[in-house]
Amino acid sequence: VDAKSLPRPLNGHEEPIKILETYPLNCHPRFLRLTTHAIPSSQSLLARWHLPLGAVVHPLAEVPDGEEVPIVNFGPAGIIRCRRCRTYVNPYVTFTDAGRKWRCNICSLLNDVPGEYYCALDASGRRCDVDQRPELSKGSVEFVAPTEYMVRPPMPPLYFFLIDVSVSAVRGGFLEVVAKTIESCLDELPGFPRTQIGFLTFDSTLHFHNLKSSLMQPQMLVVADLDDIFLPLPDDLLVNLADSRHVVDALLDSLPSMFQDNANIESALGPALKAALMVMSQLGGKLLVFQSTLPAIGVGRLRLRGDDLRIYGTDKEHTLRIPEDPFYKQMAAEFTKNQIAVDVYAFSEKYTDIASLGSLAKYTGGQVYHYPSFQAPTHHEKLGYELARDLTRETAWESVMRIRCGKGVRFTTYHGHFMLRSTDLLALPAVDCDKAFAMQLSLEDTLMTTQTVYFQVALLYTSSSGERRIRVHTAAAPVVVDLGEMYRWADTGAIISLLSRLAVENTLSHKLEDARQLMQLKLVKSLKEYRNLHAVQHRLGGRLIFPESLRFLPLYVLALCKSVALRGGYADVPLDERCAAGYNMMILSIRRMLKLLHPGLYRIDENLIKDSEEFNESSKQLALSAQSLDPRALYIYDDGFSFIIWLGRMLSPDLLNNTLGVDLSVFPDLSRLALLEHGHEYSRKLMRIIRRLREKDPSCFQLCHVVRQGEQPREGSLLLSNLVEDQTAGTSGYIDWILQIYRQSQSS
Amino acid sequence: MSEFFDLESQDGVRMTWNIFPGTKQEAVGCVIPTAAIYTPLKPIPNTPVLPYAPLRCRMCRSILNPFSIVDYIAKIWICPFCFQRNHFPPHYSSISEDNLPAELFPQYTTIEYESTPDTGPAVPPVFLFVVDTCMIEEEIGFLKSALAQAVELLPEKSLVGLITFGTYVQVHELGFGQVPKSYVFKGSKEVTKEQILEQMCFFMRKPKPSVGVIAGSRDGLSAESIARFLLPASECEFVLNSLLEELQKDPWPVPADQRASRCTSTALSIAASLLGVCVPGSGARIMAFVGGPSTEGPGSIVSKNLSEPIRSHKDLDKGSAPLYNKAVKFYEGLSKQLVHQGHVLDLFACALDQVGVAELKVAVERSGGIVVLAESFGHSVFKDSLRHIFQSSDYDLGLSFNGIFEVSCSKDVKIQGIIGPCASLDKKGPLCSETVVGQGNTSAWKMCGLDKKTSLCLVFDIARKDGPEAIAQPTSNQFYFQFLTYYQHNDGHMRLRATSLSRRWVAGPGSIQDLIAGFDQEAAAAVMARIVSFKMEMEADFDPIRWLDRSLIRLCSKFGDYQKESPSSFSLSPRLSIFPQFMFHLRRSQFVQVFNNSPDETAYYRMILNRENVANSVVMIQPSLISYSFHSVPEPALLDVTAIAADRILLLDSYFTVVVFHGASIAQWRNAGYQNQAEHQTFAQLLQAPRDDADAIIKERFPVPRLVICDQYGSQARFLLAKLNPSVTYNSDNPPPPGGDVIFTDDVSFQVFLDHLQRLAVQ
Ligand SMILES: [Zn+2]
Ligand SMILES: [Zn+2]
Repeated sequence: VDAKSLPRPLNGHEEPIKILETYPLNCHPRFLRLTTHAIPSSQSLLARWHLPLGAVVHPLAEVPDGEEVPIVNFGPAGIIRCRRCRTYVNPYVTFTDAGRKWRCNICSLLNDVPGEYYCALDASGRRCDVDQRPELSKGSVEFVAPTEYMVRPPMPPLYFFLIDVSVSAVRGGFLEVVAKTIESCLDELPGFPRTQIGFLTFDSTLHFHNLKSSLMQPQMLVVADLDDIFLPLPDDLLVNLADSRHVVDALLDSLPSMFQDNANIESALGPALKAALMVMSQLGGKLLVFQSTLPAIGVGRLRLRGDDLRIYGTDKEHTLRIPEDPFYKQMAAEFTKNQIAVDVYAFSEKYTDIASLGSLAKYTGGQVYHYPSFQAPTHHEKLGYELARDLTRETAWESVMRIRCGKGVRFTTYHGHFMLRSTDLLALPAVDCDKAFAMQLSLEDTLMTTQTVYFQVALLYTSSSGERRIRVHTAAAPVVVDLGEMYRWADTGAIISLLSRLAVENTLSHKLEDARQLMQLKLVKSLKEYRNLHAVQHRLGGRLIFPESLRFLPLYVLALCKSVALRGGYADVPLDERCAAGYNMMILSIRRMLKLLHPGLYRIDENLIKDSEEFNESSKQLALSAQSLDPRALYIYDDGFSFIIWLGRMLSPDLLNNTLGVDLSVFPDLSRLALLEHGHEYSRKLMRIIRRLREKDPSCFQLCHVVRQGEQPREGSLLLSNLVEDQTAGTSGYIDWILQIYRQSQSS
Repeated sequence: MSEFFDLESQDGVRMTWNIFPGTKQEAVGCVIPTAAIYTPLKPIPNTPVLPYAPLRCRMCRSILNPFSIVDYIAKIWICPFCFQRNHFPPHYSSISEDNLPAELFPQYTTIEYESTPDTGPAVPPVFLFVVDTCMIEEEIGFLKSALAQAVELLPEKSLVGLITFGTYVQVHELGFGQVPKSYVFKGSKEVTKEQILEQMCFFMRKPKPSVGVIAGSRDGLSAESIARFLLPASECEFVLNSLLEELQKDPWPVPADQRASRCTSTALSIAASLLGVCVPGSGARIMAFVGGPSTEGPGSIVSKNLSEPIRSHKDLDKGSAPLYNKAVKFYEGLSKQLVHQGHVLDLFACALDQVGVAELKVAVERSGGIVVLAESFGHSVFKDSLRHIFQSSDYDLGLSFNGIFEVSCSKDVKIQGIIGPCASLDKKGPLCSETVVGQGNTSAWKMCGLDKKTSLCLVFDIARKDGPEAIAQPTSNQFYFQFLTYYQHNDGHMRLRATSLSRRWVAGPGSIQDLIAGFDQEAAAAVMARIVSFKMEMEADFDPIRWLDRSLIRLCSKFGDYQKESPSSFSLSPRLSIFPQFMFHLRRSQFVQVFNNSPDETAYYRMILNRENVANSVVMIQPSLISYSFHSVPEPALLDVTAIAADRILLLDSYFTVVVFHGASIAQWRNAGYQNQAEHQTFAQLLQAPRDDADAIIKERFPVPRLVICDQYGSQARFLLAKLNPSVTYNSDNPPPPGGDVIFTDDVSFQVFLDHLQRLAVQ
């Protein structure tokens, strides 16, 4: 096999927008993608598919350029919904009886059209006002919800900060970055002038902060009875930001110095969470937890585990990756019940049991931000950017999401960060554009008789401005009887996205090895099925054949098996980093997931030197192999989460010096190198490239690591181990992998 | 009498019997117990302060004093208490009759020793303010400004701490510096000292010792961890002031039909534990400012429900004050803790309601605390008293700390106990009588707080049995006493004051005249007041009137001059003659007639009585009355309704209240403004004189008395009338003289009382 001929996704990721040609009324695939846009008509057909059948939903995805989600206000008519299945009116409903009735596209019920919504039909049976009605002409709309959709007045945006201030918090310097970042974001928090804010700092004691607007400066109230947590004040622990702005500013100004000399090494996260719940339970909101060390006292105390090498490879291996104490899941349930979403920022250089802490985010629609061995000089920009994004991005509050589908299909499992409130209702105390969800479909026993099946995602939420809204995405997909159709319409992005989530979940109940093998098995079965299909048709014999739509799937599965969450064993990834990577993968959009699995690798020294050459990442993306690396050149590697700048051994010192401002002859410590723009044109160009790459992935800040060829062990851990096509200890290279898959798919 | 004053001014001691009944039986026959009221820190001019340690008897540990017999040749002294022969140490080798150390000078029966600097550095006194915030804004305002002033007046170098409380307790970390910071504790929950250590992070920079921590810097707490809460006043004045400035009413809502949730006992317990953690064994006082009844925690005195009234004396009598015993028990525990740590609890109770002084009494009194009761934090009784504590002037209290009081006596004298602000140290020994009064069964007492005025009442027992050898003249007919007071002087150094006394005893027939000659009726009145108050509190079904009457009758029977069955023949020696009058007024006083007052007021009056000297006690029992008129210079008037006249001004001093009472005509003239006219300058002077005298009283007294200025027939006049002998009442046969007054009472007048007494005494 010629390595060069193997398929590689080197042209960036393309969205499957050609579906819109067939189904122009569908929502944009950015919001909803099916693993195959052809739904099998029977269980027997599905059984031959072997890959997951399901959807990846990204309800608040950033809208494609030049488009927007129209806002619809039905006014007194109320929102038009199917009486039986509660589907929202959408472009696929049909009007009959001269416009007086409409038929639900999901359950086929004939509904009355309310008087206020009546409109005559034209000759072809379409409503005459379709073009003026976005809900009848667009796959994505947002309804303004009347009071029936509220169980209480819409909550104000609310941010509560729970900050570990024990010794390690101060030592790493994150406290200062956090305080400064929050302060710089105060003007941009959504929801002015209703926004509420509050703080609770803690070590072995809990520090409440009285932010009453009439005070000159905040007052700190310490509650130390960890067994009997109570609120020291009836009010003013959560305040209106606009009213108490000067007090909040004063607090944030003094926060870093306040704990500068703190000698307390303990961290009572559990009691602090209980306190936060008490403060927030009235309103809900976002709880941002900043944790610098293993919380070892009070309720929810965690212990050091995961440093036991012997447990790997045994039946108990997975227990390291799930919370040990049910406390965190119970707290998460309480938080969700009270409309509180938890984001966990973890900073420790030592084990902090991300597995347990992360479950707070997992069940509340939150997110895990992991900064292992945080050091302010290196990481402040990253933390600052990501926290600022967390605080200022548009957020949907106190929301629930449901995805409905037509008769014969049914969503059975959901994968992502949420709490399942009933069989199909996802509770999302907060949700934003950086969260995607995946779900699997199953088929009913009966054969599907319809030609089309419809899906409708509805997210009911409170906007930061205090309006209750419903964002609705509707899509149709054909029902097929032919497996070939399923392959034709297969969506590798959605498949690998769903597969990744399944694999991560698998590591919570199985060995890593088993989870990897399961992925491999699905791949093999699928290709074998395909081969059988085509071998019969075309007599193709011994070649490994891919359906065109799945040509990159083997490489992605290989990358998935080599990803931080799944790769190797005990020694290959620190447990916390593995768990953090797992939590991270559970919320990624398809685009970001694909980039993480198959990062971009670009040679850029020529861009720096040549005058006119502008950097165009898609055209120059290289295969992820050490063979792509020329010792005389300079490369940048981008997985969407960080950048690695690789310096070839024989790179000209001038180029190096002019670009990075370092002289390698004095053996500088590249791990501490902070990339700064300086006077030389090369440097300016490099920074321009970096900026350009960052703009493409605004969800997080890509920290730039510089490494020199041969600089071990950094080169290995930063780059070489991530070059998925190469064979590294215990893993296959791309060619081997293909051969393996081939062999396995040949055998019966 | 004057010789008693002389004795008092030399040693701070007044005794009921200055010539002792020599045997047990005779002492019983004397009715009035042999007792002393001793003011350990009474300023005595020219008392030497010796810069060295005292010499102690090898046997009984009493110290060398002028009554010791010295053999100058052999360099030996004989202890007057146990007759042990003690060798002088080498540095006394130059002792001779002409070269005496000060402690052997006959006039220095009271003398002080001060520890030299190498025995320890000066320890700054600690003031921990514990401030109630469940009050209306106005009261908080008053309290804030009073506290701000107190902060300014705090002695230099003293350490300060602040606790505020309401529903919760807040311990303020004054040393934090960045923002106001406090530790918050639930009001309903008891907090132990161990929890304080743990929760307030005292072992932050050090590993917590696994065993044996009591606390304090000597036990391993870092000075920094202590300095978070207790700071030199000069360093935290700004923080303290800004905290007081921002001090807010307790923020928790109070329903209209409820009392505020006020956890006084928890706050005090935390304060005690904090001091126990930080400065055990060194002088410190908790100054509690309480603005209402405690409703939360183990020391609550009433439920939050406003429909339930606060307990009255009737409720206490009937046993229908459900929370009372629990609260008292709690405060007994607290007092033990305070005494163990050597710390004081001062109580400033300022409210229209009762706040629980009755329950708190045990903790305040055992720890030697100060108590002030007023209606409001805006009232001068509170404001001026607080200022009085700190101002340095002739009248300053000279607050001292951490005292230990010890007594030695000749072996025939035993001690029953002490009624006063102190706590037994349980030092049992042959000196202890089997009869116990007050803090007894010990020969050593803790006085966590004491000042220049603190006066103890020591009750003695004469143990010598009757018998031939008792009457036969023994080698000595002197009893010796030695009172030793170790204390932390307000300059921070430890001192020892030693008072050594000798009194003659008599026995057998013919000793009556001697006994009478030594009888100090004022001291006796003060002692009887303390004992009757004590018995009323301690003995169920005790009838104070009956007990006082019987005592008086027996006393008069024994010492009166009369022919049997002839009341008219009855007379008393001048040494006893005013005593019946004292008893008459004592019977009518707030100490005995408690039902006119709330339990808080009664507790307050008794606490003050129990710490005052004889002269002030007598004023409490029988107020002094001075009359001002054009006819004469100011003169004492009989405490009788007949003292009232239209053209007189009366000045009544009943200790707690000072009344300036204008006769009807005086009031008229004053209202007409005569005093402002040049030709009536004498009237102006007449008006001013009692005011000046009242001011003089107020200035030196602590707590500052309430000043009432009133006119005859005015509503405030009751403050005077209540104290007067009702010789003319609304049902008297003879009407008052013109311009006089009557008292609306059914109480008997002194004359009637005396008639009864004479009749019964001669039976
Ligand atoms: Zn329907
Ligand atoms: Zn002796």
